[in-house]
Amino acid sequence: MSAQALVIAPREDPWEMALRQFNEAADYLPLKRGIHDYLALPKRELTVNFPVKMDDGSVSLFTGHRVHHNTVLGPTKGGIRYHPDVTLNEVRALAMWMTWKCAVVGLPYGGAKGGVAVDPKSLSRDELEHLTRRYATEISIMMSPEGDIPAPDVGTTPQVMAWIMDTYSMHRGYSTPSVVTGKPVEIGGSFGRVEATGRGVMLSVREAAKLISLPLSDATVVVQGYGNVGTVAAELLHELGCRIIAVSDSRGGIHNPKGLHPGEVLKHKQATGSVVGFPGSGRVTNAALLELPCDVLLPSAFEGQITGENAPRLKTKLIVEGANGPITPDADAVLAERRTPVIPDILANAGGVIVSYFEWVQGLQQFFWTEEEVNQNLERILVRAFHKVWQTAEEYKVRLRVGALIRAITRVADALYIRGIYP
Amino acid sequence: MTAKTLVPTAREDPWEMALRQFDIAADYLPLKRGIREFLAYPKRELTVNFPVKMDDGSVRIFTGHRVHHSTVLGPTKGGIRYHPDVTLNEVRALAMWMTWKCSVAGLPYGGAKGGVVVNPKELSSDELEHLTRRYATEISIMMSPEGDIPAPDVGTNPQTMAWIMDTYSMHRGYSIPAVVTGKPIPIGGSQGRFEATGRGVMIAAREAAKHLGTSLKGSKVVVTGYGNVSSVAAYLLHDLGCIITGASDSRGGVYNPKGFDPRALLKWKAETGSVVGFPGTERLPIEEVVTLPCDILSPGALEGEITGRNAADVKAKIIAEGANGPTTPDADEILDKKGIMVIPDILANAGGVIVSYFEWVQGLQQFFWTEEEVNQNLERIMVRSFGQVLQTGQEKKTNMRTGALIRAIERVAEALMVRGIYP
Repeated sequence: MSAQALVIAPREDPWEMALRQFNEAADYLPLKRGIHDYLALPKRELTVNFPVKMDDGSVSLFTGHRVHHNTVLGPTKGGIRYHPDVTLNEVRALAMWMTWKCAVVGLPYGGAKGGVAVDPKSLSRDELEHLTRRYATEISIMMSPEGDIPAPDVGTTPQVMAWIMDTYSMHRGYSTPSVVTGKPVEIGGSFGRVEATGRGVMLSVREAAKLISLPLSDATVVVQGYGNVGTVAAELLHELGCRIIAVSDSRGGIHNPKGLHPGEVLKHKQATGSVVGFPGSGRVTNAALLELPCDVLLPSAFEGQITGENAPRLKTKLIVEGANGPITPDADAVLAERRTPVIPDILANAGGVIVSYFEWVQGLQQFFWTEEEVNQNLERILVRAFHKVWQTAEEYKVRLRVGALIRAITRVADALYIRGIYP
Repeated sequence: MTAKTLVPTAREDPWEMALRQFDIAADYLPLKRGIREFLAYPKRELTVNFPVKMDDGSVRIFTGHRVHHSTVLGPTKGGIRYHPDVTLNEVRALAMWMTWKCSVAGLPYGGAKGGVVVNPKELSSDELEHLTRRYATEISIMMSPEGDIPAPDVGTNPQTMAWIMDTYSMHRGYSIPAVVTGKPIPIGGSQGRFEATGRGVMIAAREAAKHLGTSLKGSKVVVTGYGNVSSVAAYLLHDLGCIITGASDSRGGVYNPKGFDPRALLKWKAETGSVVGFPGTERLPIEEVVTLPCDILSPGALEGEITGRNAADVKAKIIAEGANGPTTPDADEILDKKGIMVIPDILANAGGVIVSYFEWVQGLQQFFWTEEEVNQNLERIMVRSFGQVLQTGQEKKTNMRTGALIRAIERVAEALMVRGIYP
């Protein structure tokens, strides 16, 4: 749900990878074959081919998808991606990951994902609006406040959500804010949503630190990726007394063992376009930054940053995944051997989808919360989920990543058994 | 829509083949690229993975599809197939063919098709009912009397349609007969539907003879595949004074140059299981039946009966395709050179979908027609369509097969231009 959502590398088919991850966790559970398959395969997959009138009067045909992975726990939730490399298998995999992400934090949601194979930068604003309105119309047979609630993802924005909300509302004849989340605040967006993912990362760090007896006051923190997630996490951890000793963005990293002021670094980035060159800091590459000695490492940039190659050189006591998939399976094995706790993405960066959920709830009830209420509820849900995952991992003697998946799959399977098989 | 609907061979991908056929006809029309693609590609494709509780208490996951190819002319119409070899590409191709078939006949329909990957013979009646009710539930987001009306196809039958109608009606809370066609008569099936395809073949052959100035009295007729299409066509042509000289089914062929009584043959087949051995006829190998001397040949058995190898030996003046795809492209070329008039499948066997359309109309208005009314309306529509296809073929200087496709595409394109591109 965050802007840093997983962009799959071409190395492995994303759907194969998602199935492999599922199987690793599902093997710990006594699932019969039919139930196992039911939990793994998407409930429904829609592909639409639709025309858009372009600015020059010509008509172009675009292909889009919307996949509902599972509807056992409630309506489906998941982003819409505009990217030229969108494929059905990628959308499938991301929909499945959303099922586990929602289940692990206990939301009444199943997973979904959508996408259009388009480079949004190649379209004018009018063309993008027409494409969005037509795609929204085409998927509206599978989208509703009761059934499936999209959100922004790679290549889409609050403005795109506003167009979807407007199109859906025009068809219905009245405003339906809860059909999408990630809307601008003016039309029903939630307070605290921009900060939500970073706040969730902070909460994960805080809870993990308690359990591994790591005092946060003066704990050293390294943040890779100083976007929305990394910035907010750094600022909130700074408020808890942590020392932010290094941060980075796509142009490189900065380092100061005595600590950086995260708010000032953000101002510098906003003014110059990068954190690099922040007064009083030394320069460090993105790769070297990961290997700095620290108490907490927050990989919050891209997938695949920590690999089997660099994992043995990490000098950290705790890793919390702000980004999706920053650690490869090889690296995961190395870190497990070295007993470095890794708070996995589906738990650590779930703050975004949790506050998306709050935005939906507020839209349904047409009654809006203060930022304080949002943050309190986020804290309650994330802390509860964190400890359940930790317990599950201890109980099954597995990594936290596998524990989170076991917890998620168990929750869906339990609901499925109670509901039964129709008809 | 008939039980003998095209089962594509492994040789060519059915969707590639459908696109190639479209391109041949579309080249005759002044279509811009975006419009042409819009006409070719399916509007929406749904894939569902759903569980069925089996008689032994286990749960099995099945995969099904429903594709709406075009919705420009009205709701979509097309069969549901239960077959182990069902693929999305096959369903796509069949949905596209339904668009052209409905368009040629001037029905207010676009094409659709559905399918489940299953061998229905391996399931018990209870399992088949549960599978059908669950599949109907899963595709119900795309099925409605206003939007998409399924019908029987390979592996499904009036009982299957009754279960779909019942499931959909139970969800809505009241009976909705118009959501499917091909239902048993007690729950809203149409009079005359059983005979409809064969009656349409008879009308097509009759109109062709009229055009060629051939008298039907004493004309010799050979039919293959003595099921519900060919047997009906044979006895209706016999009623018009034709002499039925040859017929076949899966066990072999029968021949009498002086003719035989087609109704008596039908009775013989019902009693003995085959046309073979019918008193007063000579037995022939199946493959010799299509090359028997005759005026009218109606291939109604399987696809690919007339190929590049035997086309040169075909002696008929008129071929009315009762089956789908009985003539290969190679054979088409040879038949064209010999000056044989081939009435293509999408026109010749459209009687089935036309009376399906009447069944839907009767369900919508809850007012039911006599068999005479059904047959009169079928006659009117078939005669009109035949004339239009013939004229288009002549205007574009091509054969009736391409003429039919050109006419079909033109009709959808005209409607699209008038409607415009949303939003």
